Amino acid sequence: MLILLGLLALAIGAGFIGSLSGLGGGVFIVPALLIFAHVPMSIAVGASLISVVATSAGASVAFVRDGWTNLRVAMVLECATVTGAVTGAYLAGIVPSWVLELLFAVMMLQSAYFTVTKAGDSIVPHSDALAERLRLGGRIPAESGNAEVDYGVVHLPGGAAMMVVAGLMSGLLGIGSGALKVMAMDYIMHLPLKVSSATSNFMIGVTAGAGALVFLARGDVATVIAAPVALGVTAGALVGSRLLPHVNVQALRYLFVVILVLIAVEMGWRALSGF
Amino acid sequence: MDNSIAEEERILRVWTPILLRTILVAAIVLLLAGLIVMAWHNPGQYVARFHRLQSHTRYENRQSLAYLASTAIGGNSRSIMTLGLMVLTLVPLVRVAFCFLLFLRERDGIYVMLTAYVLIGLVVGVILGRVG
Repeated sequence: MLILLGLLALAIGAGFIGSLSGLGGGVFIVPALLIFAHVPMSIAVGASLISVVATSAGASVAFVRDGWTNLRVAMVLECATVTGAVTGAYLAGIVPSWVLELLFAVMMLQSAYFTVTKAGDSIVPHSDALAERLRLGGRIPAESGNAEVDYGVVHLPGGAAMMVVAGLMSGLLGIGSGALKVMAMDYIMHLPLKVSSATSNFMIGVTAGAGALVFLARGDVATVIAAPVALGVTAGALVGSRLLPHVNVQALRYLFVVILVLIAVEMGWRALSGF
Repeated sequence: MDNSIAEEERILRVWTPILLRTILVAAIVLLLAGLIVMAWHNPGQYVARFHRLQSHTRYENRQSLAYLASTAIGGNSRSIMTLGLMVLTLVPLVRVAFCFLLFLRERDGIYVMLTAYVLIGLVVGVILGRVG
């Protein structure tokens, strides 16, 4: 019973921090399972992918309903993320654990960088020709006295290329790759930041789902671990999202960065020890 | 925005949250039920399985859907939870399939192709997992 409660506590904590930091539960649950529960990498990744599907489904509902999610951009870019995720999840069954751990460390550092530099809305009023043809432009919903604003979308091929990488990392490492997705949409495609976050949240479900299907079909999902992890991460994320409006996330930013760097060091060390 | 696109957008915004929420709740009910049954009736089995997982570098958990369904009905907690996990992974598949059907109905050619590609990608994932 203690083991079960411990796993649930780990998952709730990972979901909670994942939600507050905006990086998602996967980034925290995979290292937590490796370090504290001592389970193999493939089992940690399989359990994490399923929990990411659950949190994405839960978190994206309100954004879709309120019009923040750009559904067409999501559907176009999902072609890229699914391609990457299926490839990544397949490769995860072949690549040695130490390589995955090393990649994880690199991704943690990228997430830390993203947490520090995340800023800036540079929206464009009109879409370029390709985005226009796919009708990707959208409208920022009216919020707290501000009127609706139309925005355009540009540089779809560049964004899609980054999405293939995001999908690959998701399938290999069991994370949602939200940081890469938001960077692709915000920096490259010039979507408004909140639209990028909402759309990324929505896409994460399909990306992680594609990876989870590969793991499930391969038999790499350990029910006794994945079930409490999925429940715990979802519960933690729910609590985190309720607390989010009342917490000064900016002040917590540097705490998240310290946690991410510590995870990167630990994962890097594990990789080099296993090499 | 022309009328048919606005209608497409409206249907997506109304139905996507309903679909996501319904499947998510169904999966959570199955997972919770399985965990409670296991913790209540056979906590020792849980601990034994957990320790076995820690000592294996390679793990394989493959059962047919028919086997899982029949044992879940018989009250097997692990089968109930495995079904819960499967339902959870169906969330994105069902959501994309819904979009595909909607675009097909609206004869929105480009988006029919894009969603079909994603659906095929998900199916290829299952096949790759089976052979890999």
